[in-house]
Amino acid sequence: MMARLQIGLAASVGLAITLLAGCSARLPGQPTEAERWRAPNEITDFNQLYTQNCAGCHGAGGRLGAARSLNDPLYLAFVTDDALRQAISKGRTGTNMPAFSEQAGGHLTDQQIELIVNGMRAHWSKSDDFKGVELPRYSVDASSTATNNDIATKALQAGAASRGGATYKTYCSSCHGSNGDGGSAGSIVEPNFLNLVSDQGLRTTVVVGRADIGKPDWRGNVPGHPMSAQEINDVVAWLAAHRKTTTVAVSKVEHSACLNMK
Amino acid sequence: MAVKELEVISEKAPERLHIEMPRRAFLLKLGFLLNGVAATMVSVPLLGYLLSAFRNDGGFTSWITLGSLNSFPENQTRMAKFRNPYTRPWDGQTADIPCWVRRMEGGNFQIFAINCTHLGCPVRWFQESHLFMCPCHGGAFYEDGSHASGPPPRGLYEYKCKIEDGQLWIHGGQLPTLNQPA
Amino acid sequence: MIERLRKIAIWIDDRVYVSKIFAATAGHHVPRTSGSWFYVFGSGTLLCFMVQIVTGICLALVYVPSSGQAYTSLEYLNYQQQFGWFLRAMHNWGSNFMVAIMLAHLAQVFLFGAFKYPREMTWISGVVLLLCTLGMAFTGQVLRFDQDAYWGLGIGAAMAGRVPVMGPAIVHMMLGGPIIAGETLSRFFTLHVFVIPGSILAIVSLHLRLVLTKGINEYPVPGKLVKKETYTEEYEAEIKQSGVPFFPKAISKDLIFSGLVLMGIVFCAAYFGPAGPHGIPDPTQINTAPKPDFFFLWLYGVLSLMPDYMETVVMLTAPFIVIGILFAVPFISNTGEKSPRRRPVAVLSVLFIFIVLGAFNYLGTYAPWSPKMEAWTSAATPTNYLEGRSPLERQGALVFHNKQCINCHSIGGEGGLRGPVLDSVATRLTGDQLVRQVIQGSGNMPAYGKNLSPPEVAALVAFMSTLHKPTEAPARDSTRSAQAASEIKQPNTTAEMANAKR
Repeated sequence: MMARLQIGLAASVGLAITLLAGCSARLPGQPTEAERWRAPNEITDFNQLYTQNCAGCHGAGGRLGAARSLNDPLYLAFVTDDALRQAISKGRTGTNMPAFSEQAGGHLTDQQIELIVNGMRAHWSKSDDFKGVELPRYSVDASSTATNNDIATKALQAGAASRGGATYKTYCSSCHGSNGDGGSAGSIVEPNFLNLVSDQGLRTTVVVGRADIGKPDWRGNVPGHPMSAQEINDVVAWLAAHRKTTTVAVSKVEHSACLNMK
Repeated sequence: MAVKELEVISEKAPERLHIEMPRRAFLLKLGFLLNGVAATMVSVPLLGYLLSAFRNDGGFTSWITLGSLNSFPENQTRMAKFRNPYTRPWDGQTADIPCWVRRMEGGNFQIFAINCTHLGCPVRWFQESHLFMCPCHGGAFYEDGSHASGPPPRGLYEYKCKIEDGQLWIHGGQLPTLNQPA
Repeated sequence: MIERLRKIAIWIDDRVYVSKIFAATAGHHVPRTSGSWFYVFGSGTLLCFMVQIVTGICLALVYVPSSGQAYTSLEYLNYQQQFGWFLRAMHNWGSNFMVAIMLAHLAQVFLFGAFKYPREMTWISGVVLLLCTLGMAFTGQVLRFDQDAYWGLGIGAAMAGRVPVMGPAIVHMMLGGPIIAGETLSRFFTLHVFVIPGSILAIVSLHLRLVLTKGINEYPVPGKLVKKETYTEEYEAEIKQSGVPFFPKAISKDLIFSGLVLMGIVFCAAYFGPAGPHGIPDPTQINTAPKPDFFFLWLYGVLSLMPDYMETVVMLTAPFIVIGILFAVPFISNTGEKSPRRRPVAVLSVLFIFIVLGAFNYLGTYAPWSPKMEAWTSAATPTNYLEGRSPLERQGALVFHNKQCINCHSIGGEGGLRGPVLDSVATRLTGDQLVRQVIQGSGNMPAYGKNLSPPEVAALVAFMSTLHKPTEAPARDSTRSAQAASEIKQPNTTAEMANAKR
């Protein structure tokens, strides 16, 4: 009886010591630093930020979403940091791109927006692929700040819907139909569609295409014959001309007051 | 055994006391009386202490500024925060109360409580769909605070507000509930 | 030497009556049949309670019951304090085990008819202990002062606030002030650490004393009925004839079970770790979807699925009705059959209640009634829903995200489950019906009329009209011929409809 008790006691002490020693190793239940809760505005991991804020429309991993593919080296070579920053923070009015910065009523800090811009570049950019390729300018507006102010430049910026029709037939009609209202890729002159995209959005798609879903860029519409800057401007102008804008009257209240003063 | 003996004694004891010792009976009564008085003396401050939470509600709310009108862009609904007027030094962040400030075109204001009228969860404003949505049971409210859908029994709680010296003021101070809206 | 120690022991025993108390309690005689595996849950619950006391006292050495610092001290316990995370995990799992084993005890006592004459008070004190334990579970969840605790209190206040007339006063009493703040936490700390455990200790004493005075229930035999006139005599005769001392004859299974429970708690604590804390209790951090701990998930489910019109009434009366029924059980069925083999209604009731609670708890774990607030920016449209779609339809998929439709409606398994799943919505609704539904909404869906532009409606409906299996035909308007209906489905027409509605 006594002997057995001693054995039992020794066994328990031994077990306790092993447990104590074992606990200096990490048990699966011990909380890790990664599990610690962080306020949403303290998240600094690009993947987490992208997945929580962008993946819904731009697709998981930046591809195959309903909105523009961001995991696209050509697009990233085409777009400027500032344009990305502006689009994320203020959104694109009149399109489905919402504003994300805190100042604009979203939830991301400026620092987080910077992290997303830099993260996209770091993860998805392959700037080496486009060395020596002359890319069309990202924005027509950006060139207007340039000093050369001659008439030819202005005409180039504006583009001409009248010329655009012919340009369209050359470059786009094989997929979008002879008038833009059909074809294998679907209508792109449908006014409702045009009312949901900006001119810049049209320009970006014309130039960089959608590699992830097999839509060609400005070089590939007619193989071996890239679109000129003029032709890009013209076809965007031609598309924009199909848009029927709707204006909604807003009643104005002129004095400031609180509605609930009771 | 011992228990039974005790019971016998305690059953007989009071009788004996009553019959044979009226003085003891008097002392017993006096004892009860004294303890009753003492208990009252203790209970008054005790209950007063415990029931202090039932203060008149007028004492909790007051006017608090939410800052300059310019910090609220027109046609936007933004979250604002204020320090609850009734606060304790150890309240920490819990006394920072959020609310939704809606500035309409032209400058009319509405201030809504963060708490859903269903079960008090924090409603979130979505400027894309112009809706307040509740994460708990899917209650939704329009931008003017009226009930849009789901289980909430009424529209959002709306705080009283005023504009003074170019600043927006909110009349707040207590958690709004169904029978005591903001 | 040993003789000397022995004398000291006898002296102590003579002065403090240890052996007599022991003989009168642990040594009392119980029916031989009660040394059964079914009778281990009571002592198991008691063991959990002791674990909770020990771990609770240890946690209180570090925990700061102040709303400004509680969260910091919880994080300190998790990350800095040696074994702090383990004690938090033990306390958390101890409570889970305690509730679970207590429910098993309750079910066993009910099924074995142990609540019948003369053990009514044992049952009633047990019900009070059950309520106290649930009270501990709720207050304990509050002491883990994180976002769940904060908004959980908000939910409690919102429910209490529905009481007519008295509502605001009850809310103030519950919160200890006008808002959820410092005094609220102090209140719940006091309840969790002093008031309720004190009550439990007192009532456990009564509960155990009743087990001693009224005896433990004998293992029920089918056909052996409880009669008030004869039961006590029969029971005493059985004890005298075949009774065994609880210690050491009947305790072995309790000991084994308790040992397993303790090891279970330690294992779960080491393997799964502590719960939370989930986010700083700052009301301005609203990116949260508060959820109760598992003991209250069923309640969360019931409250969520109940029709709105009966909510207030049920919230304010159901707890009293349920508690009332629990208290009334021994008086509803005071005598007669004890064996579950002859009490089908009792068995079915227990099965029914556990299935219902289990189903609600299961639903509570993934809360299909809660919208997913982040879905609109994080849940990607499944790629096969975009393949070969026109530009307008792709814009519609964006509208579906941008207007937060996906927060409540899932497509391809992505998104919320609050509203109907829309994978095959085009087979149920025509384009016109979709426009109407989107613009006007319905009881559980907001009317988007004011908040969508005509192009947005057109795009959205164009996208939703593609949501059907390739093998299933889209819905058509039965008032028109099949051919005409297929023409109607042009986005142009739906946009004009939307315009007309405005």
